[in-house]
Amino acid sequence: MKREKSRKYRLLQALRILSQWFFFGLFLYLFTRTRFTGSDVIGPVERFFHFDPLLAIVATAAGRAFFAAFVWAGATVLLTLVLGRVVCGWVCPLGSLHQFFSFLFKKAKLHRPKAASAGPLKWKYVILIFILTGSLLGLNLAGWLDPLSFLYRSFATAVFPALGHATKGFLSLLYALGLSGPAGTVGQRFESLTVNPVYLQGFFLGLLFLAAILLNLVRERFWCRVLCPAGALLGLLSVGNVFKLKIDRNKCIDCGLCNLQCQTQASPFPDEEWKRAECVYCFTCAAVCPTAAIGFPSRDVARREKRVSLDRRKILWTPIAALAALPFFRIAPSGRRAAASLIRPPGARPEPEFLSTCVKCGECMKVCPTGGLQPVLTAAGPEGLWTPRLVPRIGYCEYYCSLCSQVCPTGAIKELSVEEKLTVKIGTAWVDKNRCLPYALGEPCIVCEEHCPTSPKAIRLVEHSALLPDGTVSAQMAPVVDVSACIGCGICENKCPVVDRPAIYVTSVGEHRSETNRLLLDI
Amino acid sequence: MKRRDFMRDLALGGLALSAARPAAFSLPAADAPPDLAWIEGESPAALTRAAVDALGGMRSFVGRGDVVCVKPNIGWDRTPEMAACTNPEVVRALVEMSFEAGAKTVIVTDHSTNQASRTFLRSGIQAAAKQAGAKVLLPSSFRMKKMSLKGEWFKEWEVFLDVHEADKIINVPIAKHHSLTRVTLGMKNWMGGIGGARNQLHQRIHEAVIDLARFFNPPLTVLDAWRVLVRNGPQGGRASDTELRKTVVAGRDWLAVDAAGATFFGLKPAELPFLALAAERKLGRLDWEKLRIEKRKV
Repeated sequence: MKREKSRKYRLLQALRILSQWFFFGLFLYLFTRTRFTGSDVIGPVERFFHFDPLLAIVATAAGRAFFAAFVWAGATVLLTLVLGRVVCGWVCPLGSLHQFFSFLFKKAKLHRPKAASAGPLKWKYVILIFILTGSLLGLNLAGWLDPLSFLYRSFATAVFPALGHATKGFLSLLYALGLSGPAGTVGQRFESLTVNPVYLQGFFLGLLFLAAILLNLVRERFWCRVLCPAGALLGLLSVGNVFKLKIDRNKCIDCGLCNLQCQTQASPFPDEEWKRAECVYCFTCAAVCPTAAIGFPSRDVARREKRVSLDRRKILWTPIAALAALPFFRIAPSGRRAAASLIRPPGARPEPEFLSTCVKCGECMKVCPTGGLQPVLTAAGPEGLWTPRLVPRIGYCEYYCSLCSQVCPTGAIKELSVEEKLTVKIGTAWVDKNRCLPYALGEPCIVCEEHCPTSPKAIRLVEHSALLPDGTVSAQMAPVVDVSACIGCGICENKCPVVDRPAIYVTSVGEHRSETNRLLLDI
Repeated sequence: MKRRDFMRDLALGGLALSAARPAAFSLPAADAPPDLAWIEGESPAALTRAAVDALGGMRSFVGRGDVVCVKPNIGWDRTPEMAACTNPEVVRALVEMSFEAGAKTVIVTDHSTNQASRTFLRSGIQAAAKQAGAKVLLPSSFRMKKMSLKGEWFKEWEVFLDVHEADKIINVPIAKHHSLTRVTLGMKNWMGGIGGARNQLHQRIHEAVIDLARFFNPPLTVLDAWRVLVRNGPQGGRASDTELRKTVVAGRDWLAVDAAGATFFGLKPAELPFLALAAERKLGRLDWEKLRIEKRKV
């Protein structure tokens, strides 16, 4: 028999790779555009997230409200109902990245595909059921493993900051070599990108990302096969699959190459065993088939539906286990009393609603022009891991900026115009008189007052006489906070010259979004 | 370095220093340009042009092929109506005049307080300066270099090289209220010419700004008093914090320009410690009213 690969499917494979590059490029483009580019209005740079049905379902179910932009997810659902998991194979930027690294690892002979057990494939369904059960109870657990959130968060808090540091290293090398001309040009371009180089947990989040990439050494597209809850959801929605895999028995030489090379372990051979819910239509099998025996005809192929075996009795235990596990997510003091350090971005919903809708994607952290929005570790309880908070010591809330509220893909931060944002109080500043230079040392300093952006200023100066160690008195103007004018932006804390622990600092008390975290009785 | 070279450099340096600011000290010839220009009128650009022309024109400050740094105050993320940053039309006029006088490159920059990418934009200065052909440079940490300031008190600090390395520096402050120094004018504008932990300098602010002004020693200072920030300084926030004064004051003696600027706030120059101390050190004239002033309306 003449051995010849299918031209048609090699072309389709090339188109698929092109599509993956395109969408990854688009994702990256929108990612880098998620910054202050000169306008107070940023546009829909977060649109990718709205096409994600997992985030749409979970944010809607857990938040008990539908966020209008999620109608876009309907497109993904429709596409999947008709064609199967094409979005995983052709669009998903994280899937593309995994496939790219799988390809690299194979080329570098670091990974050799071998027959693998189908057992772990069901883990992603278990994860999905766990997440969906949680959402019914008002818990939003989607963000940690949702592919878009995972990718965006990793890029925002780890990959790009690392690239920023690398660029700075490169720039200092250029300057060291006396190439100040090119260095200046690159430097100006770099400054305009406003890469935030500092993220709490950035190293840890980077390690997680690295681990996810290295999993491709274990199996190709390990994430997509085993972990991805969004992929699992699309798998469950793969009911139509207009194009179904068909092997021409007259051509097939039973070599098994298709099974070995299948990106997602969909078992193309024999075709009765093909799992349509696992297939992402990458067309690798059809393209590598040495005799062009594999096709995806649209006419109906009569055969029994094959799926990942989800033993009904066993799978029923998942929601039950989830129900048992979910209360553990609420064992934290944050539900009872607001944490002082939990300064949420302006426009953030009241804490329970915020937690049920935030998907920890990191859009707000990426767009924050000062880099002040940082991933939370423990302050918001287990369910609040990697939600955003303002850390004024790292970056303050820029007065004429409402970008974080505009890029939030789920409405966890309500969209605000700059004018609306100016009146939103996110916390209150407090002077530590034991450390403040005029109060404690009798030295002149008005830095917090000078930076206070409100008019009239929320930080005023009063004369204060400090008793010095030698018994003399030094009278200086010293800051006093007008809590009703203070919006909690934190520029005072950020600019305070007391380097280690600032002499003026912001806590969340008095934030407008909360009824319980009230400061002044103003009912 | 040989001793002879050293002596020669020293002598040349001394000459250069004494040549740099003759107006304040030497007795001027009868037809020499005035020491100060105080121009009032209806357009910031026209005022600026008239002020520099009154001082003998931009050619007396900028030579052919010079790299000129026009240093406005672009410190805050505020629009021109808030009068927290220098008026963009004043900056534009100075850039244009520098090019007309033969400048090779005109740099406009400031080490801003809020983020430069925002302040440069919202102040309108980036657009105006770029239109006039200037290179608008965002401050970069690579362009801050620790060096000797040779000050009385201020010995060493990170200096913003894009400002320092220019052949000619034109200081273009805006007149504003400030809670610590009471006013911020030309001398305090040099806080934007340095890097480092500037927020700590407030402990010795008067000495610091005097030494900085002496270090940068601009041959020309153009004080923008088109719209003056009279309260809630140095960034204001409401149009009602400002007063329209429609004035530009320019001069070679930066101390005299600041002394004149103090009057916008109803202050006597001697009331301001950084001016009084600088005058004590004979860095310029506090009694600006006794200078020859060209005061007119355009």
